[in-house]
Order: sequence, then C-alpha cells, then structure tokens
Amino acid sequence: MNSLFSDPAVWNRIQFAFTITYHYLFPQFTMGLAWFLVYWKWRALRTGAEKYNQAARFWAKIFGLNFAVGVVTGIPMEFQFGTNWAGFSKYAGSVIGQTLAMEGMFAFFLESAFIGALIWGEKRLGPRYHFLAALAVALGSWLSGYFILVTNAFMQHPVGYHIEADGSLGIDSLSTYLLNPWAWVQFAHNQMAALVTGSFVVAALGAFYTLRGIHPVQAKLYLRAGTVMGLIASVLVAFPTGDQQAKLVGKYQPVTLAAMEGRFVGGPRASVALIGQPNIATRQLENPIEVPGALSFLAYGHFGSNVRGLDEFPQESWPDNIELLYYSFHLMITLGTVFILLMSYASFQHWRGRLESSTSLLWVLMLAFPFPYIANTLGWMTAELGRQPWLIYGLFRTSDGYSKVVSSGDTVFTLIGFVGLYFVLGVLFLVLVGREISHGPGGASPAVPGKEPSV
Amino acid sequence: MIASWYGITGFMLIIYLALDGRNFGAGILHWLVARTPEERRQVIAAIGPLWSWHEVWLVGFGGTLLAVFPKLLASAFAGYYLALFLILWCLILRGISLEVGGHINDRMWQAFWDFVFVLANALLAILFGAAAGNLARGVPLDSNGTFSMAFFTDFTPRGYVGLLDWYTVSVAIFAAVILAAHGATYLTLKTEGPVHDRSASYARVLWAAVAPLLLVISVESAVVRPDLLGDAIHHPCWWLGLLLVCAAAIVLVSGLATRREMRAFIGSNLLLAGLLATGAAAIFPVVLHSTLAPENSLTAYEVAAGPNSLAYAAIWWPISFALATAYFVFVSRQYAGKVSVKRDNQGFY
Ligand code: HDD
Ligand code: HEM
Ligand code: HEM
Repeated sequence: MNSLFSDPAVWNRIQFAFTITYHYLFPQFTMGLAWFLVYWKWRALRTGAEKYNQAARFWAKIFGLNFAVGVVTGIPMEFQFGTNWAGFSKYAGSVIGQTLAMEGMFAFFLESAFIGALIWGEKRLGPRYHFLAALAVALGSWLSGYFILVTNAFMQHPVGYHIEADGSLGIDSLSTYLLNPWAWVQFAHNQMAALVTGSFVVAALGAFYTLRGIHPVQAKLYLRAGTVMGLIASVLVAFPTGDQQAKLVGKYQPVTLAAMEGRFVGGPRASVALIGQPNIATRQLENPIEVPGALSFLAYGHFGSNVRGLDEFPQESWPDNIELLYYSFHLMITLGTVFILLMSYASFQHWRGRLESSTSLLWVLMLAFPFPYIANTLGWMTAELGRQPWLIYGLFRTSDGYSKVVSSGDTVFTLIGFVGLYFVLGVLFLVLVGREISHGPGGASPAVPGKEPSV
Repeated sequence: MIASWYGITGFMLIIYLALDGRNFGAGILHWLVARTPEERRQVIAAIGPLWSWHEVWLVGFGGTLLAVFPKLLASAFAGYYLALFLILWCLILRGISLEVGGHINDRMWQAFWDFVFVLANALLAILFGAAAGNLARGVPLDSNGTFSMAFFTDFTPRGYVGLLDWYTVSVAIFAAVILAAHGATYLTLKTEGPVHDRSASYARVLWAAVAPLLLVISVESAVVRPDLLGDAIHHPCWWLGLLLVCAAAIVLVSGLATRREMRAFIGSNLLLAGLLATGAAAIFPVVLHSTLAPENSLTAYEVAAGPNSLAYAAIWWPISFALATAYFVFVSRQYAGKVSVKRDNQGFY
C-alpha cells in the first residue's frame, strides 16, 4: 500500500486543520470588529455626529462579508465531528455536544437574527435599536467564541466528566465543564487576539486612506480607534493572558511546554531561547541565544524553578511535531512583542498629533494587518500541535478519534474539494472587500444590492 | 426522556426544512417564475436577507443531535460521508451565490450566480429527499453499528444498498416537487407583479402533482418496509402526524382556492411538518434501520447520551429555544411585506 495514504489519521488531521484554520480567519476579525461597531454606534447615539454612523455603516458591510464566509465555512466544521471524527464523537459527544449545541442555540441564533438588522436595518430601527442590534451581534459572536473555546479547553484539560459503563464519557457537572479554568484563560487570550486582528485591520484602512489623501475624516477615526484599541489589546494579549496560558500549559501539560521551548534537558533556571532551532535527532537546540532563568520565571514565577525537559518524559508522549510547535510558539511571541512596540509608537504619535503626517509609520500600519492573522494561526497551531498525541489530553488519543469506516482516499478527495472551493471563496471575498474599500465609506445607500426588501 | 429528545431533534430538523425548503423551492423555480434580470433579483431579494438565519437552524439541529444522540451522529455522518460533503458544498455554493451575486451589478456576473443558485438549491432538495428515503429504507449497518455506503449499488432497496436506489430516487423526486411547491407558495406570498402571478400558477400545478406522488411514495414505502405500518398504527404520534397532514391539506387547499396567500403558506409549512412528523413517528424507536439484519438496527435508546447529558440539556434547551422564538418574531417582523421589482428598493448602487 502506498505509504502516503496508509494512515487515515493524518489526512483527517490535515483536513480538520485546513478547514478550521480557514474558518478562523473570518471569526477572528468579526469578533474583533464587532466592538468597533458597538463603539461607533454608541458614539453616534451620544453625539449625534454623522461621521460615526458613516463609519459603522461602512464597516458593517465589511463585517457582513466576513460573517457570510464565517457561516459557510463554519457549517462544515460542525459536520466534521461526525463525518471525520466519529470515534471522537462517539466517545465524547455527550460532553462536547453540550457546548456545540449551546453555541448554536444561544450564540448563532442571536448573531444571525440581528446581523441583518445591523447591516440593512438602520433606517427602520432608528438609532437606539440599531445600537442594540450591534450590541446583540457583538455579544453573539463572543458567546460563540466562549462555547467553542470551552469545547477546546476540555480537549486540552478535561474537567467535569465521568466515564460511563460503556467506556464513553458522560458529563458530571455542567458548571464545572463550562467554568473550566483553562477555558477562561483561553477565552481571555483568544478574544484579545481577535481584538488585535480587528484593530490592525481598522488602523490599516485608516492608514491607506490617509496615504492616498481620501476620506480624511473617516480615516482619522479609523486610525485613532485602531491604534488605541490595538495598543490595549496587544498588551493584554501578552500580559496577563498569554502569560497565564503558558502557566497553564506548564502546570497541566509539562511535556508540551518542554517541546514548545525546545527544552530537551530539564533543570532549574530554565532559559528562554530567543533564537535557535530544535534538532530532534541530536536532541538539542542548535544556535541558541537564550535569556537565562526567563522560562522558569514565566512558567512558574521564580527564576530558579525547575522546568522539566523532554528527557524526563517517554518519547511516545512527546508532541509529534516538535519543530513546527517550537517555531509556531516562538513566532507568535515575537509577533506579539512587535505588535506592542508598533502600537505603542503609533499611539504615541497619535497623542502628539503627528500620526497622520508620519508617512513611513502609516505605511507600516497599512502593511501590518496580515500579521495578527498569522499570529492567531500560529497560536492555534501551538495549542493543537502541543496537545498531540492526545485528542483529549490524557484520556483519548488522536489515533482513536477518526472515522474508521471512511477510507483515506475519501478524506483526501474531500480535502481537495475544500481546497478548491475555499480558494474560489477566498478570491471572491477579496474582490468584494476590495470593491467596498474602493467605494469607500459614505456611499449613499446603506444597503447591499438584492438584499433589501421593500416594506 | 429519550423519546422526547427524539421529538425535539426531529422538531428542529422540521423547522429547518420548512424554513430552508422555501429557498430550495425558490431556487428550483428561479428560472421559471423570473424571466428578466430584474425579476431574478426580485426572487433573490425575497429570500436573500434571511438565508443565514435559516441555515442556523441546521446548525442548532446538528449541535443538539451531537449532544443527545452522539452515537447516531457518529455512525450516520461517517456512513454518509460523501453524500454529506456534497450537501455541505452545495450549502457553501448556495450561500456564496446569494451573497456575491448582488454585489456587482452586471448581467453576466448575476446570470452566472443565478445558475449556481439554481443548481445548488435543486441538488439540496434532491439530496435531502434521498436522505429521507435512506432513513425510511435503512442502511447496511453491521453489527458494530457502523456502515459505509456507495452512491449506488444495484438499485434495489435491500441488502447492500447504496445511497440511491429506485425507492430513494423516487423520494428524492417527491421532495423536489413538494419543496418546489412550497417555494412557489412562498414566492406568491412574498412578491408582486409578474413573478407573483407565475408563482401562483406554479403553486397550483405543483400542489396538484404532490397528491398522486404522495400516494405513490406511500405505496412504495409499504413495499420497501412492510414492517413499518404495522408498528406505526400503535404510535399515537403517528396518528397525530396524519391528522396534521389532513388539517394542513385543508388549510392549504382553501388558501390556494381563495387566494389567501398567507393561509396557503401556513398550510404548506404545516403539510411539510405533518409529513415529516408522520415519517419520524413511523420509524421510531429505530433511528437507523439495518438492511442487512434487523438486530443490527440502532434504536434511539442505544444511541442516546448518558442520563446526565440529557438532564442538563433539558435545562438549557427550553431557554435557548424560547430565546430563538423571540428572535423569530423579531426577524419575521423585520422582513414582513412584499418585494417588488423596483430597483431602488432593492438597494442597487
Ligand atoms: C494576535 C495573536 C496572538 C499573539 C500576539 C499572541 N498570542 Fe498566544 N495564542 C493566540 C494568539 C496570540 C491564540 C490564537 O488566541 C491562541 C491559540 C489557542 C488559544 O486559545 O489562543 C494562542 C495560544 C497560546 C498558547 C498555547 C496554549 C496551549 O497550548 O493551549 C500560549 C502558551 C500562548 N498563546 C502564549 C502567548 C504569549 C506568552 C504571547 C506573548 C506575546 C502570545 N501568546 C501572543
Ligand atoms: C480556530 C482555531 C483553531 C485552529 C487554527 C486549529 C488548528 C488545528 C490544527 C493545526 C490541527 C491539527 C493538529 C495536528 O494534526 O497535529 C487541529 C486539530 C484538531 N482540532 Fe483544532 N484548531 C482550532 C480550534 C479548534 C477548536 C475550537 C476545536 C474543538 C472544538 C478543535 C478541535 C480539533 C480537533 C477535533 C482536531 C483533530 C484531532 C487532532 O489532530 O488533534 N480545534 N486543529
Ligand atoms: C471546531 C471548531 C468550530 C466549529 C464546529 C465551528 C462552527 C461554526 C458554525 C457552524 C458557524 C456558522 C454559524 C452561523 O450559521 O451563524 C460558525 C461561525 C462562527 N464561528 Fe466557528 N466554529 C469553530 C471554530 C471557531 C472558533 C475557534 C471560533 C472563535 C474563537 C469561532 C467563532 C465563530 C464565530 C464568531 C462565528 C460567527 C460567524 C462570524 O462571525 O464569522 N469558531 N462556526
């Protein structure tokens, strides 16, 4: 048998990784942008100034496009639990099904009911109710983030379950499950990261319009909101939330932490490698430039703490792709640091009133918007690769989770289908967003064509 | 408890099919009832703003199914692997066609997305119909409670069956016709002008075709699953479903005859609900019938989640459903009224 196709687990993993990474490009932006819309609608309500309404109207259209792609790419995610991960659903469905169902019933219903009102209902609803529609959409999107992260947190750190007579999982306490400490930290970190994405995109468009000398009033609004929110969120992503994430990993998944840091040998005064390449064959980190004691401090709060190395764990329990895990984690942190520096400088210039005139800074802001997307993806790769070889940490292995009745050929086929379809979807999305950006804010009609029914 | 959850998940699926069924139907009829580009936009506008609100009911159904019947979801979704991906891809294409079609005001662009819209919706109606046929007929479940299926084998509904055979194909055709009729009834209610008039006459023709087809399907079902009727007559819910079908037919026919569009549309929804409920009651408690050996069949009791999961779900589900109903009222009010062909009120720029 051809070795490339002999392990269906691999193809199921690649398919899930591909479809979820693609899906998450859209919600991370909508979850971030939602609060900008709420803010602008609130300012409009308070001051009555038209520019805030105009900003909200314009970004609501961009939101709508992202939302639509989020919906069409999210539905396959839900189905894949059954189609590709039947073993997992059978084993853990009673537990994870609770939050997946609640996500649909509480969050998606809320969001989809009000999204239309947000995009097309400004005239009909009046300012106060239109503000409330924005708020409902924002709450719905964060609520869906919470429920899905509880699901993921259970896979990272299972709590509140028991094992039934037939060997599958049952839920023991819904509140313990919903209030998983891992979920709270992950939610805080992840939502801040979504705000980083939102802020960078808003600021980038402000920079773009400013550099081209068009839509000056709107551009100023975007630059201000984007840099201020961007600074706050970038700082919160690193501290305390990112720091807390690392501490949880150190506490509950020590082997993952060792792999994330490329730490082959354990001991006290563990250092953080700023640069270096892990080499699994020789079991060492090559060309390291390290900060002594930093890892001990970050993970456990003391420079002298002992941090265990990979050598202390049996090799079967190591994450199966240590190199990718290591690079993902390190690049996420590097980007996080750069984001703080960039947004601090931009906010400083804004405070001095010089932001609009610093051409090179505007160029950097404009071109920086893809990097939060990259950082978010890297963060998820860190979390998901670090969880290997477990699907539910310590309970259930990834190799037991996929659908045994589906051959890898079928999985490869559907994977190729998704790649093709998502490529087309991506091109269309970019074209349509590009058109909205070139139409610019302030178009006469708040509606998207073909959508607005007469009343 | 488990029987109620069977009812609840079935109910959610029915809501989804009644809501999205109108879109499938409108898609099937798109080229027939709308002749000019403006009229085509009118049809799209009649369903456009709400497609994600309709699709979300499928998400709610899927999530609830995983929470309360995890083993059913695992077995059925893995078994129907390729068919489900076809459904997913059609849903994606349908969503895209609605979203992007109107964004660029160009005839060729819109004609292309209209084509995608028609194709995806027609396929969805057929695939969901075939799925219903599969549920009634059964699947080749082995003794582990798993199965995998080809698209078709020898086209007979026994033994190692495929997704398609003469029975499931005829259910699929029936589904396409009844959903087209449903869609026509909706478009009659929702539009004015020539689209309205054409939809109204299609509705009458299609509903007239539904009656004999229903008879054919019932006879076929009795041939394929002779055991079903004997069991069904002992289920009170089956009788209730039947009652609903009769009541709905009266409402529908009187609505069509007196041109009360809202009444006809309510009848159409109730009729779909009644037929699905009758079918669901007939197969209960077996949720996946094995065409290989009856003892391999899975019942709702075997595939249900543990008692705690069901008890917790019984707490939050009613709350979430009450909220969803409230949103439903809001949404329906927002989009009440007819859609016309006038360009400006469809918001072209
Ligand atoms: C803008 C994006 C972004 C940025 C700049 C950072 N992170 Fe992050 N990180 C994420 C976006 C993200 C994420 C996408 O949100 C993840 C994936 C899983 C999760 O919940 O959050 C994540 C996961 C994640 C994990 C993995 C948890 C696990 O294994 O389950 C750790 C340890 C950190 N982060 C720590 C940090 C630290 C110390 C940062 C310092 C600057 C940092 N992150 C910046
Ligand atoms: C949106 C952000 C997410 C991204 C980018 C992401 C990324 C990934 C990646 C890269 C993998 C492959 C890991 C490997 O094969 O080594 C994976 C696997 C998986 N993830 Fe995630 N993930 C995300 C969120 C989630 C969430 C919220 C859940 C649960 C609800 C989840 C459940 C899974 C499952 C079931 C697998 C397959 C089994 C496995 O390989 O462990 N993921 N994901
Ligand atoms: C296995 C993982 C996931 C599944 C099964 C999933 C499922 C879905 C589904 C079905 C939708 C469409 C909802 C609708 O019809 O309105 C959706 C959209 C959405 N998802 Fe996911 N999703 C996953 C991962 C994530 C993650 C990790 C996040 C964020 C933390 C997220 C946040 C959202 C949000 C906010 C939406 C709303 C649409 C949007 O704003 O773009 N999802 N998801």
